[in-house]
Amino acid sequence: MDITLRNVVKIFGSIKVLDGVSLSVPSGRKTALIGPNGSGKSTLTRILMGMLACEGEVLLDGLSPFARRERLARRMAYVPQSPPQLSASVADVVRAVARIRDLEERRIAVIAAQFDLDLGALAGRPIRALSAGMKQKLLIALALSSRADLLILDEPTASLDVSARARFFSLFAEMSGTATLLLCSHRLEEIQHLVEHVVALDGGRVIFDGPVETFLQTRAVSLMEVVTTRNSHADWLRAHGFRPAFGSSWVRSVARAEKMALLNEIVAQFDGDLDNVVIRDVETLSDKAWEARSCADG
Amino acid sequence: MKVGGFKRMAAVARLDLVEVFQSRWLVFHSVLYALLAALFLFAGLRESSVLGYTGMSRLLLSLCHALILVLPLLALTASGLVVNRHREDGTLELLFSLPVSRGEYFVAVSAVRYLVLLVPLLVLMPLLGLADRLLFGHVVPWVFIGRSLTISATLLWSFAGLGLAISTFVRNRTKALMYLLITWIVCVGGLDFALMGLMLQWRLNAETVFVLSGLNPVQSSRLALLSSAEPSLAILGPVGFYLANRVGHSWLFLLGTLQPALIGWASWYVAWRHFRRGDLV
Repeated sequence: MDITLRNVVKIFGSIKVLDGVSLSVPSGRKTALIGPNGSGKSTLTRILMGMLACEGEVLLDGLSPFARRERLARRMAYVPQSPPQLSASVADVVRAVARIRDLEERRIAVIAAQFDLDLGALAGRPIRALSAGMKQKLLIALALSSRADLLILDEPTASLDVSARARFFSLFAEMSGTATLLLCSHRLEEIQHLVEHVVALDGGRVIFDGPVETFLQTRAVSLMEVVTTRNSHADWLRAHGFRPAFGSSWVRSVARAEKMALLNEIVAQFDGDLDNVVIRDVETLSDKAWEARSCADG
Repeated sequence: MKVGGFKRMAAVARLDLVEVFQSRWLVFHSVLYALLAALFLFAGLRESSVLGYTGMSRLLLSLCHALILVLPLLALTASGLVVNRHREDGTLELLFSLPVSRGEYFVAVSAVRYLVLLVPLLVLMPLLGLADRLLFGHVVPWVFIGRSLTISATLLWSFAGLGLAISTFVRNRTKALMYLLITWIVCVGGLDFALMGLMLQWRLNAETVFVLSGLNPVQSSRLALLSSAEPSLAILGPVGFYLANRVGHSWLFLLGTLQPALIGWASWYVAWRHFRRGDLV
């Protein structure tokens, strides 16, 4: 399913959440939608799901999701960021989704089992009583069982442990096939494993739209900490973007692609005055990382 | 509607019904109905001959009178926090990611919230009549039971419609609860004898009191109920007395059931229009 957005604007009260977003995602492309909190990611996914009206043009395979939501929803699956707090049991929800989507309940149970989620054992448990990870596994199983042409996943692995995340990556690779994917995520791990294209939002505007490799090279950052007791290097460190931190430490963020070059430069500059260097790749795109990236850009 | 539409609507209705059962709301108001009936029974109203009524008719009349005050509150709280709650707890986001139409969802939750209030009454009232026949050998007042159920059904629908409108328009649940309580207080407190007190105190003219009272679905239901049982109109109150003299008992019953039903449908339609056009989450 292909996605086209032209000059999409969404205003809640006096707040402009999306400010002229234009995008084109061809059918079958796996795209990550990233950005800091409040950048408009969830609003954009809800617009694509036909749950919110907006200004501008939104087309999925040439149809407006707001006007033709019911028809398009048959070909779409969605994992929301916050699972519903239903009092209904797991069995009730699975039965309802299966009936609405014309699916076999067994198919959902089989996919859930691959996430170590035994729907038979959990059948009577209210959804709200499940752990966050269990809810997320159930929602992923419901979405993947639908054989949708468009998958919209909003932070799908936020509550999953490391092994469940790994299983999700392999299962997703196996099952998503030619489906178009729109993945909202803060995790670089997900972006690296699942997508080929990245769209970054900030302040309701698109600030990056390109291949994942370009994004990771230019936007993924590492934090570099230099420890030296010699004050004579302070001017050099400041001139190279470092800021004083605890004790004799200096820190800065650096684009991942440039960290080795910077490290070589530091080693050459300090010539024996260096006490320690710590380099840590930032694995999530949290607000702090976003700030760090902005500093690196600056 | 196609078969698939009914299937999806039934799935949504079933899910909402489970929510209602899980919240023990159904148990609560069924017990409330039963307690009211038991209270009147054990308080000796069954044997009372006040105003010339005895037996089951008297019990049912008293029960219905109490219900006329209670049903609006039950209907408002059952329906007035449904859409905004579903929006808040993520239910709408889940359901509308599926091929469920807005109409299927809205009809399903409206029907569930209305029927969970009505069905226990449909069971309780005939049961009371049959119990009286079995225990005391009295004739079951089927006509009165039928009229009482019709009045209860239209009154419930009136306030279920108003509740759904509040639930759809007011996103904040605390605010919605406040509007629901205000609606109930205004309608229950706005019966003609209460308005007469205001008329005397604030020097309202009689026409205003009559119009306000005539618009009140609780007042209409009360008049319809009394028109079924009160031959002398002594307790109808001024508006009921005037209307009964003008239009007669049968028309008073018809007016008293049609007006709440119309208010219910009008409110439901306004709520549906708003829900159909607005943002879902």
